[in-house]
Amino acid sequence: MEDTNRRSTARLSVPAQSALTVALILGSLIMLAPFFVMLVVSLWPNEAFLARHFPLNQITLANFVETFRVIPFGRYILNSAIVTLIVTVFQILISSLAAFAFARLRFRGREGLFLLYLATLMIPTQVTLIPNFLIIRSLGWYDHYQALIVPALFSALSTFLLRQYYRSVPLDLDEAARMDGASSLRIWWQVIVPLSWPVMSALAIFTFQGAWNDFLWPLVVTNSDKMRTVPIGLSYFVGQYSTAWNLLMAGSVIALLPVLVIYLLAQKKFVQGITLTGMGGR
Amino acid sequence: MPTTSAAQSTSPPRRNPFRWRPDQQWEAYLFILPSLLGFLVFVFIAVGASLGISFLDWGLTGPRGFVGLANYRELLRDPVFWRVARNTAFYIITIVPLQLALGLTIAVGLNQAIRGTEAFRLIYFLPVVTTIVAGAIVFRLLLARNGPLADAVTGLGQLLGIPLSLPDLLGSTRNSKVSVVLLTLWKNTGFTMVVYLAALQGVPQELIDAAHVDGANAWQRFRNVTVPMISSTTFFLFILQTIGAFQLFAEPFVMTRGGPAQSSEPVVQYIYDNAFRFTRMGKASAIAWFLFIFIFGFTLLQNIMQRRWVYYETE
Amino acid sequence: MSRRSWSVLSVLAVVIMLVTACSPVPATQAPAAAPAAATPVTLTWAFWGSPEEAVSHKAVADAFMKEHPEIKVETWNEPWDNYFTKIQALWASGDPKAVPDIAFLWPTPKYAAEGVLENLDPYIQKSGYDLNDYWGGLLESAKYKGSVYGLPRDNEINVLYFNKDLFDKAGVKYPDENWTWDDLLAAAEKLTVKDASGKVTQYALAMEGGKYSKWVNQNGGAILDDYVNPSKCLLSTPESIAAVKFFSDMMNNGYAMRDADLSQAGGDQAVFLSGQAAMIIQNTSRVSSFNAAKMNYDVAVVPIPAGGKRWNPAGGAAWVMSAKSDNKDAAWTFLSWLQGKDGGEKLYTERGEIFPALQSVANSSVFMTDQPPANKKGIVAEAAASGVGGFGYFPEWDELDSSVIGPAMQKIWAGEADPAQALPELCKLADQFLKDKGFPKQ
Repeated sequence: MEDTNRRSTARLSVPAQSALTVALILGSLIMLAPFFVMLVVSLWPNEAFLARHFPLNQITLANFVETFRVIPFGRYILNSAIVTLIVTVFQILISSLAAFAFARLRFRGREGLFLLYLATLMIPTQVTLIPNFLIIRSLGWYDHYQALIVPALFSALSTFLLRQYYRSVPLDLDEAARMDGASSLRIWWQVIVPLSWPVMSALAIFTFQGAWNDFLWPLVVTNSDKMRTVPIGLSYFVGQYSTAWNLLMAGSVIALLPVLVIYLLAQKKFVQGITLTGMGGR
Repeated sequence: MPTTSAAQSTSPPRRNPFRWRPDQQWEAYLFILPSLLGFLVFVFIAVGASLGISFLDWGLTGPRGFVGLANYRELLRDPVFWRVARNTAFYIITIVPLQLALGLTIAVGLNQAIRGTEAFRLIYFLPVVTTIVAGAIVFRLLLARNGPLADAVTGLGQLLGIPLSLPDLLGSTRNSKVSVVLLTLWKNTGFTMVVYLAALQGVPQELIDAAHVDGANAWQRFRNVTVPMISSTTFFLFILQTIGAFQLFAEPFVMTRGGPAQSSEPVVQYIYDNAFRFTRMGKASAIAWFLFIFIFGFTLLQNIMQRRWVYYETE
Repeated sequence: MSRRSWSVLSVLAVVIMLVTACSPVPATQAPAAAPAAATPVTLTWAFWGSPEEAVSHKAVADAFMKEHPEIKVETWNEPWDNYFTKIQALWASGDPKAVPDIAFLWPTPKYAAEGVLENLDPYIQKSGYDLNDYWGGLLESAKYKGSVYGLPRDNEINVLYFNKDLFDKAGVKYPDENWTWDDLLAAAEKLTVKDASGKVTQYALAMEGGKYSKWVNQNGGAILDDYVNPSKCLLSTPESIAAVKFFSDMMNNGYAMRDADLSQAGGDQAVFLSGQAAMIIQNTSRVSSFNAAKMNYDVAVVPIPAGGKRWNPAGGAAWVMSAKSDNKDAAWTFLSWLQGKDGGEKLYTERGEIFPALQSVANSSVFMTDQPPANKKGIVAEAAASGVGGFGYFPEWDELDSSVIGPAMQKIWAGEADPAQALPELCKLADQFLKDKGFPKQ
């Protein structure tokens, strides 16, 4: 990797490199073990799992097909993808605008308002679920995409974290830009946003996986198959008396793939962001 | 651009980091407007409502009467509340530091010039994007008293000729929290690692080189140059993980149902139970606000401390 | 245009974009809204389960609509685990259009106390619906303040399933109605298999800890002195302690699977199918999966202590009517059809899904088929011993059970507490709980 090559003085000796590689491989095995189990369960019939006996001649891909037959999984994936992408992009955009004002503009009530934002961080969603549900119903959004998307766009956590980061960017940069006649919006877009690529992509990954895995809220505000998301689909496999382990795991493997693709794309940007902004040499 | 600000900009930034400009006032409000509108409708109303509800006897469909502080008073002598509060405290004090230490260690390892860093990074990150239900169920299978991990430990013991056995991780009240911590570490360390990795690559190489020239050894360079340079990232992760550990719900809920005997039940599960199983919305809200007051004090304290130990480039 | 107004405009644009993106779409769904004279009345019918499990409910709905073309039944299902959260949110919204007209529910008294359920007494009187056909004690679980608020669909009859192959292998005689606890212990000793390291590879018995009330009541003990208006916990009586000790000793000796181990292994259905347990004690919901796997098994009544009595906790989820339903008469027509011996009860029983709540259906050819298990008489004998005593019939029971009784019991099942000490302590806490909630109520 290009960004690690520059560490001329930090280069490890050959034995140290080998030791490190061995340690990382051992760690990888631990991290991968649960996926191995997941894959095995998803590749055999449920009976094989119940008996904890996996004969090689029973291996099958039928579970992956079956998942789509039992529930409209394709539609669920599409819904999850739409909701998650919009939430991730706009939540970060909206939070970034607010965070910019909180961090770098001065206005009456700033500290008080920010404190109010912070205050909402610690109230768990379980408590606000019912009041928010009533709001969604009165807006007529029940069982619509808006119900899944709009409330998730406003995150105190994202705003807080971006504000923390923006505060660490030297104010001289703003001043220089203002001297050149740039507006605040331009400073935000052309100075602050490019500088905060790494933190924004970290936040994007965090927001994306949170939205992708969210369960309670989509369950409560959606009603029809047209609006359901992946985690709800998976929960159908856990029954009152018995669980379709094979389908649950096959579905989980499928659900993993889109997120993985997003991560691979984001991580490229992530690394680029660091090199482009010159953070490495600042 | 008003000329006053140009004149002010000659003063050192430290003394007055946020220059007052009347026109900024309106700009600022516009920047905040989209966020504020959403907060008004979807956050402040609901959070405010929950405060109000905490003073009511609120059943399934609405208020049954005003009870003042009775819900709060009940908490003080509710043994279950204190049990689950202790559980959550345990999760915070174990998960947060372990997660940070583990994430940083792996990130430092991956920041070296060795082969396969991309693949390692992907592997360590994979659990982050896995659905929690699947992860928790697989961990329950793996950690079971008769599960593969227990068999492996016993097998290893036989191989070495010493009696080895894995303690019951899920079924005993002493160890059930450990299982939840293990699951959480597996699930979230990848995120900490990725964020730290980005921060490490942002540490100026000249500083490390300079320390090297001054004769600092690898540990001293790490401790005295790298760690302070990534302190704002540590703070970022610290807050994120603390809130995450505080709001822990799905992991123990799927893996142990909070059991046995509520030994792994976090506060949020108790809130959920009160709201949705015992139809006691008032008490559920009171628990949330009781903890909020406690945590808010803690956060304020953090904010004060943060000024002392986080390095900001503006200063 | 100055730069400042440019920035003002841009931010405004973002706001407008958001607002338009969020503008409410006119509600497209308006079920059961003002039925015209010619169009059929629409009922929403809620139950838990996957879309696949919903298939059999939909077949029941179709059969009903064939007989009653004037009523249209729309089904509504959610995953089992979160069905209750969802339905509570709907009730909280107070919007009659959102709430299903007929729902599957447990426990009925908790929801009846909240005023969301329709009192069924007037409908029962008017139509002359026969309540005497229900198994003893079963309707108690669906009553609140003496009135019927729900009609239980099934009765959970816990019987002893045994794996004939494993019994033959161990040379143990099959269990019969004369077995006592001592016979069970003697068989358990032979049916438990350990490997060289002392690890149990085959358990004699797997039974959920939560079913302990069976042993307690068989032995003349009880959980509470009264299950509608309790004043005292009775788990500390010698009879109760002896019964709990009988069960926990079986776990401590390795005869019975510990509760946590059982759930980690995937539940009793999984361990019985895989031969990890030679016997399980469970309700009849397992029959179809054991039959599908072509297991060589049968059922028997659960052994009782010498001098004890046969006893089964009467209970089963019930169909309830929403107090906010727009079409209560149609809802009652559907409800009474569902719980009629020629309607829903018969269809569910035929599909092998339930042990019927109605005695006449259980004793008819609909249940008495030649499908395994052979010993259907044993199930009926156990059902005839149904009674109150498994759980409380007051709204606060859920909270008492899951925050006071359950945790103390789990410690016993984990082998971390001795019943002789833990149960008196538990009763002290339970008595305090009841006192705090104002029990006994006048």
